[in-house]
Amino acid sequence: MAEVVDVRAKVLAANEEAAARLRGTFRTSGALVLNLISSPGSGKTTLLETTVKALAGRLRLAGIEGDVATERDADRLRAMGIPAVQILTGGACHLDARQVRKAIDEAAFPAFDVLFIENVGNLICPTSYDLGEDFKVALLSVTEGDDKPFKYPAIFSRAEVTVITKADLLPHVAFDMDAVRGQLATLAPSGAVLVTSAKTGEGIAEWCALLERRLAAKREAGA
Amino acid sequence: MHELSIAQEIYRTSRAAVAGHGAGRLETVKVAVGELSAVEPDLLVFAWQALTQGGPDAESELKVEWRPARQFCAGCNADKPRSPGSWLRLCPQCGMALAVSGGDELDVLQVTFLPDEAAGEGGVADG
Repeated sequence: MAEVVDVRAKVLAANEEAAARLRGTFRTSGALVLNLISSPGSGKTTLLETTVKALAGRLRLAGIEGDVATERDADRLRAMGIPAVQILTGGACHLDARQVRKAIDEAAFPAFDVLFIENVGNLICPTSYDLGEDFKVALLSVTEGDDKPFKYPAIFSRAEVTVITKADLLPHVAFDMDAVRGQLATLAPSGAVLVTSAKTGEGIAEWCALLERRLAAKREAGA
Repeated sequence: MHELSIAQEIYRTSRAAVAGHGAGRLETVKVAVGELSAVEPDLLVFAWQALTQGGPDAESELKVEWRPARQFCAGCNADKPRSPGSWLRLCPQCGMALAVSGGDELDVLQVTFLPDEAAGEGGVADG
């Protein structure tokens, strides 16, 4: 005779417990933590390089870079003068909280105000895994097309901030900004949308102001 | 493609849930998968089959309950139907802007477990 066992458990409970412990660590240290998610080549690392330059001397930054292969992204951040560690997933399509914990423990970063976790380039799988971040940031470059929020609703509905990148290319591509804003309003009504270009600097000051505002709010709430 | 990692977590959770029930095999595992969970039900079932193949739970079945996201209209006080995988920006009836909500479930709901007969309640000891 079969026995019926009620479970009612989250599938990713183990990851979520690890994420909750990370969140506790970052609450204690008063650091703002972002989980950046986008398709490959949308400009996550370039946005971070530009951010490091724009915030020079104002905030202490650190980076965790997730990639299937190569240390290239961590090297790019270190070349900008911030501590960075590379997580090589060897084929896995996302980072999970236990990998981030291990990276944090091994990296022994000097004290930081903002930690950027750059996820593996992928609009789908990283969505499911909480990394203990304060919020998720989705990036969408104008060359990817203006239909992406509705095509990848899971990430764009969970991202508190969507950063449109490569806005300098807008004259050269068919990208309907109003359509994108409309889709994002449906998926994430309270989310913020920033239009940026690392090349011209458009929107970078607003992006940095958002980081400073969120960091101040977190520290005020924790004080 | 992270359905295999998800299937492994479901298997681990299911086995932990029946750990106190002695030896035996899983019969069915019921899970809820939301439309915005970033998990594809068919791929999850294929991953389950690949994962359990050749083991004690090879005969088990993963049953997926699909949980769609909602598009509720406050103007009409009703959920608005839409074709699968599509979204409405405005209510087709009253034109009010609609938001997406829910659909982020990814839960193990229930496990049915078949205890080995030797471990059953008969208590007949081996000779």
